[in-house]
Amino acid sequence: MKTLIAIKEQYHTWVHEAFPAMHPLLLPLCNKPFIEYLIDFAILAGSREVRLLSDGQLTEVEEHCGTGSRWGIELSYANLHPADDQQQLLDKNRKFCGGGRTMILTGYNFISYNKQKSYLDLATIATDTPIASCPGGTITLKGPPESGASEKSPLAPFSITPLDSVQSYFRISMETLQTGSSRYVLPGYGSEPDCSIGKNVIISKTAQIRKPVSIGDNVQILPKTIIGPSAIIGSNVVIDNGCSVSGSIIIDNTYIGENLEIDMRIAAGNTLIDPTSGVSLTMEDPHLLVGIKTWATTAILKRKTIHALAATILLVLQFIPFILLFPLLKLQGKWKDDPYMQETGLAGALAVAISLDRFPLLLKVITGKLDIIGSSSRSTCAGKHSYPDSGPLSRLAVFSYAEAEDWPVNGSDAAIVERFHAVHSTPIKDIGMTIKALINRLTKGR
Amino acid sequence: MTITETSDGSITIVALCGTIDSSTAPELHKSPAIADTLRSVVIDLEKVDFLDSSGLGALVGTLRLKQEAKAAVLLSCMNPRVRKVFDITGTVKLFHIFDDTSAAVEYAATHNEG
Repeated sequence: MKTLIAIKEQYHTWVHEAFPAMHPLLLPLCNKPFIEYLIDFAILAGSREVRLLSDGQLTEVEEHCGTGSRWGIELSYANLHPADDQQQLLDKNRKFCGGGRTMILTGYNFISYNKQKSYLDLATIATDTPIASCPGGTITLKGPPESGASEKSPLAPFSITPLDSVQSYFRISMETLQTGSSRYVLPGYGSEPDCSIGKNVIISKTAQIRKPVSIGDNVQILPKTIIGPSAIIGSNVVIDNGCSVSGSIIIDNTYIGENLEIDMRIAAGNTLIDPTSGVSLTMEDPHLLVGIKTWATTAILKRKTIHALAATILLVLQFIPFILLFPLLKLQGKWKDDPYMQETGLAGALAVAISLDRFPLLLKVITGKLDIIGSSSRSTCAGKHSYPDSGPLSRLAVFSYAEAEDWPVNGSDAAIVERFHAVHSTPIKDIGMTIKALINRLTKGR
Repeated sequence: MTITETSDGSITIVALCGTIDSSTAPELHKSPAIADTLRSVVIDLEKVDFLDSSGLGALVGTLRLKQEAKAAVLLSCMNPRVRKVFDITGTVKLFHIFDDTSAAVEYAATHNEG
């Protein structure tokens, strides 16, 4: 049997709002990414080939899950259209399905299963109706049943629950923690049940750990803290002196300040969420609660340096024209920061053609606040509903990649171009693209 | 880039081979089936080994023109490298993408894309 896992973006928009830095398919449930539960279930059902389908970005998921070799399966990735139904999913993946038995999991749902049971009989059930369903999706078997197993043996129980809000996320996480490793394959090590600890965890001698608890990788638990009962601590978390965390989830990359008491909450970066009401509170004091940022990599520093050098050269070249035209345009009331500067009149048209309207922004490149080329605020806004825009692909800049290309005709086209170059660019290519943007502005106007 | 056109009923299969970049993308619009905005096409990308933003622009432009004329543009047999370009740019939402060309032809024949 093969498995298609089809998850449309429309079902997990709440994740972008609650946990903006997290890819929904990698959202940790008891320190295990959501998608891994679905893959585990597919394997328990006898699938050796699994395909993930989404109408959103899968690159990050692909980097995390790879080819599936660590599960001993073949994992492939494909895209679906937001309007696709189940038959269209089968048609679009005909080569993968090969006319054989295929299990289709749709929706952003948590599957409650038991790893100690066998679900191999799913391949032999003769039914076209969903074998499990909930408001957010179904599990359906398509294609001819496989022979070999007994059709009369009772199927091990399983159920699906929509993961449609912070409330359901919290409830399912806590249930998973309670049932623990007896039902699911969970990460971490533990010499006793209901307690799993990841790699590189430092626990002070005076800290108390109260079961059930799940602790991720690279965690520091400092003196006099009390962790648990029912605490899920993500990876790259620091819990400072005298804290207590119970009945709560601490999402990855979070610092919990001294003497903070967290009970029945979700802490994600500097945000504290009440899982019953869904209300969130952003903490301004970094000594209480803050997101742990990773340091800029060498590649980012290299890009920033080269961009700053290019900006300096451009500032030198534009300095004299700026000194001459700026007072004139200011007096005429035409000078406004891009993109509102008026092109009317010879001076205005000339200033826009030689990109003087970007002159003040170049100073921000030197201070590292902007890139010389990247995303424009316009295209970022146009695609803000989409996950990639909230990630590292959006780099606000003086010039946009779309200005260096010939084809974008509207904001969404510009977003396509900018996402492409944000991934494929190098500092040297960026300089070439900046020159192209300057030439395009000179020859075609804004 | 080489372009091979084959007809399957009212649908034309346009098989692309090679690189689609700024230097080759304009050739796409010279293909009769692509240039005919009223004709639905299935673009087979199996043998495309590189696609850049200009190539992507050519495909998006083709889609827009054909959609205006109520014709369809379907994509088939993307290799992982090309799929990644569609994935990161978010253009997967614009196209119907198949892993089998014959399935795409059947879909195009039975659906009016509008």
